[in-house]
Amino acid sequence: MLLKLNNIFKWVNSGGQRVFLLKDINLSVEEGEFISVMGPSGSGKSTLLNVIGMLDNFDEGEYSFLDEPVHTLKEKHRANLYKQYIGFVFQSYHLLDDLTVQENLEMPLLYKKVGSSERKSLVADTLDRFNIVGKKDLFPAQLSGGQQQLVGIARALISSPKLILADEPTGNLNSKQGEEIMELFKQLNSEGVTIIQVTHSEKNATYGSRIINLLDGRKI
Amino acid sequence: MYKNYLKIAWRSIKGDKLFTFIKVGGFAMGIAACLLIALFINDELSYDQQYKNKDRIYRVVLQGVMDGELRKSVHFQLPFADALQSDFPEIEKAGKINMSELFGAGKRGLRLAGESQNNFEDGFVFANQNILEILEISLEQGNTNEALLQPGNIVISKSKSDKYFPHGEALGKTIVLDNNTSKPYTITGVMPDFPKNSHLKFNFLLPIEDTNMSWTNQNYFTYVLVDENTDIPALEKKMFSIMENYVIPAQMARGRAPDFIEILKTIEYKLQPIGDIHLRSDLAMGDGLKHGDIRFVWLFGAIAGFVLLLACINFINLSTAKSANRAKEVGLRKTVGAFKSNLVAQFLTESVFFSIISFMLGLMLAWALLPAFNSIAAKSILFPWEVWWFVPLMVASALFIGILAGMYPAFYLSAFRPVSVLKGSLSVGSKSGKLRSGLVVFQFATSVILIIGTLIIYKQMDYIQHKELGYNKEQVVILDGANILGNKSESFKEQLLQLPQVQTVTISDYLPIDGAKRNGNTFKKTGEGIEDRGVPAQIWRVDYDYIKTLGIKVKEGRDFSREFASDSINSMIINDQMAHELGYDNPIGKHINNGMDWAIVGVVKDFHFKSLKEDIAPLSLVIANNDSGAISVKLKSGNIGESLASIEAIWNRNVPNQTFAYSFLDQKFSQMHEDVERMGKIFNSFAMFAILVACLGLFALSAFMVEQRKKEISIRLVLGAPFESIYKLLTLDFLKLILLAILIAIPIGWYMMNRWLEDFAYKINIGWEIFFVAGGIALIIAVVTISYQSIGAALTKPLKSLRTE
Repeated sequence: MLLKLNNIFKWVNSGGQRVFLLKDINLSVEEGEFISVMGPSGSGKSTLLNVIGMLDNFDEGEYSFLDEPVHTLKEKHRANLYKQYIGFVFQSYHLLDDLTVQENLEMPLLYKKVGSSERKSLVADTLDRFNIVGKKDLFPAQLSGGQQQLVGIARALISSPKLILADEPTGNLNSKQGEEIMELFKQLNSEGVTIIQVTHSEKNATYGSRIINLLDGRKI
Repeated sequence: MYKNYLKIAWRSIKGDKLFTFIKVGGFAMGIAACLLIALFINDELSYDQQYKNKDRIYRVVLQGVMDGELRKSVHFQLPFADALQSDFPEIEKAGKINMSELFGAGKRGLRLAGESQNNFEDGFVFANQNILEILEISLEQGNTNEALLQPGNIVISKSKSDKYFPHGEALGKTIVLDNNTSKPYTITGVMPDFPKNSHLKFNFLLPIEDTNMSWTNQNYFTYVLVDENTDIPALEKKMFSIMENYVIPAQMARGRAPDFIEILKTIEYKLQPIGDIHLRSDLAMGDGLKHGDIRFVWLFGAIAGFVLLLACINFINLSTAKSANRAKEVGLRKTVGAFKSNLVAQFLTESVFFSIISFMLGLMLAWALLPAFNSIAAKSILFPWEVWWFVPLMVASALFIGILAGMYPAFYLSAFRPVSVLKGSLSVGSKSGKLRSGLVVFQFATSVILIIGTLIIYKQMDYIQHKELGYNKEQVVILDGANILGNKSESFKEQLLQLPQVQTVTISDYLPIDGAKRNGNTFKKTGEGIEDRGVPAQIWRVDYDYIKTLGIKVKEGRDFSREFASDSINSMIINDQMAHELGYDNPIGKHINNGMDWAIVGVVKDFHFKSLKEDIAPLSLVIANNDSGAISVKLKSGNIGESLASIEAIWNRNVPNQTFAYSFLDQKFSQMHEDVERMGKIFNSFAMFAILVACLGLFALSAFMVEQRKKEISIRLVLGAPFESIYKLLTLDFLKLILLAILIAIPIGWYMMNRWLEDFAYKINIGWEIFFVAGGIALIIAVVTISYQSIGAALTKPLKSLRTE
């Protein structure tokens, strides 16, 4: 069992009323799964992803990640947990504009205090694996959207996380680029990486082994 | 349209209160500081500008090179003024003033004839009738044309007249000075008080009674009124004939050495415009007046300019920094049809609006701070509300600075291309990063220079206070107005010595402080011929207890003693410097003379009898009974108040008709250097102003930078960046700028303060530690300021800024 959500609630108070963003979510994820989260805009997909990624808090319920009770952990502990085991992929890539492809890839390793030689070999391996060796000295602005997302995924994977959280990873890409990215995810999943993706596209959802549908913060 | 602009301006104020506070508050502070300095400078420049003929009134200055040193003097011989007036037709009038205490100027005891109570008054001076006319003194009572013609006349100031004759009946009344009933004075005039901004300030004018028409004694300040269109350089050259026709023959008749005569031939007479006297006199002139210094006026002017510049820079900086938030507005306005000119007008309106608010606040702040500033700067400046040009000038300045400060942001913002702004692909603001960095460097460099200045001035001040002076200034009380004791002074001294608290007492006017008596003379080695040019030295008349009371160290020979009968006749004690200039390795027993023959019986270690700005000059002490105006009492440690009470009781027993007046030697010493202390305080205040303004700017700028890099910070946080790395990322960039500023400031500060210290003959060395401390202060302040923002940023939840994408 990789993670387990029990009766998760999340709300905001707006104008004296409690608006539920997540309502009684129960979910368990085994290692090696590829889950697609679907639902209309505002249904709470991204919120769920952020809760799982520990970027956001929830108001009620229990969450255990690798048998650690996340809801009882201190902020710092929690941060260490996600830094170690989770990689994020964003719709708008979120690469740093001032850094080259190579430097963008290197950054998570720097923060993990990985030694210089190991860092170099990891970056070289990753560039190689994603077939972007030729682009290593380019800046994000010099790449196409698909290429940028490739770098984004490579960056998420470089520190070998157990879980990849992808929030509409193909949302800004054309269909061909999107297909390539999804193929990549599929391949990564077959290599043992657990993936949870948020998507609007029925087609992309089929890449996953399981689909979760959300409506108004509720699992249906 | 303008209504709309103003509405937007008002909303942007309300929208971001902290930002507005920093922008307007910082600007207002800069304006207030600048205004205060401007008022100070205006006051300094207003000295002696009140004369109708101010372009025709000059003070005569003599200058020449002696022993390789440029020497100046404003003291001239008694007949000098009359010779000028009669020999040179372009000189309409020449007047003279004698301010020497040796002649009875300065402090005197005064009482009305028929009364018994003496009042101790200051501001007596001897002047001739021409002075009234040259200085345009027009009497409120009495006849201006003859008030100072007769011996026994006296002209008093309006305030003194009001004090002694509250009903205005001063004219014709008789007053007695220093108990001398045989020589009463009749008031022949009441003059208006000298204005505060006059270099001369007297309360009592006495006619000149000196009849020594010698061309070798110099005691008189000489002022001249020249004809219109006089060629001053030509007149100065012509004036050398005075030297040739009168001075040199007189000196030769006195048997002065030929090389001295040669020096006299190189001397020049200069005419100093009266308006220059306050700010452009140097210490070498030795006029004993409290002067301003034109360099300080420049310096303060520069500081005012810098502070205002800093404030303007903040204003511009913050406006452009905020542009990211305004870019969308610009884009929208352009897409709905605004021309660039509309936008420029809008932003200029906004800027002027801010500027006017800042000016109003700045004016109020300056007005509120003026009393404090006055006390620091020892001025009594009033806020010139009633001067006709003041308010219009302020309004014009507000408009001007508003437009100037708004210019850059206006053109910068209005140049955004609407499509790129609306798409959000333009990362606004980062382009002018270099300019902004430059401005931060400039601001902090200025602050660091001011901090360095403050530290060095304080260090020099501390050095002065704790300098080994060669005498002991602690626990010495000076009794003023003691000449009233006359021949009772010795018995008064005996009575004082009976007091258990009193250690020693000395009767002498010659004290090592400003305002004490001085007497210079030239000494030659007895037995040498006219080749001996002689040593110019002070000759001080003291008593047997002088050296003991002041704690002066006898280095060779002995102190004066009553056991040697000769001591009261021709024994002399000299200081080290005099022994050196006389060229004696072993001066004891040698004879020197200044018309009288003196035997050197002792040498004292040099002690500072002038301000530390000046070198210690040759000095000699001789025993003389003089009816001194000052008696100095060295107290044993203990309760000063009690000791003073006991002394006062004895004073009142001896002098029932004059109030007891005293001062402390150490206080008088501090007063000699109060200009330095004042400088320190003024510097300190403006350094704080500058730092505050710079910090406000840095604070807002770091806030802006954090805002700009929010997305980047969030990505880094999500990718696992620890707190320290984000903190460093944001802080280091600024710290580099601050370090650069410190590096720039150090040589400038060093140079500036070195120039300032050149004024002092005795001074500190500028050590590296001062720069470390100054840099450290700036660095700490900057780190604290930036940290507030960067800690906040490093602690934010990354989600907030990523979600908006």
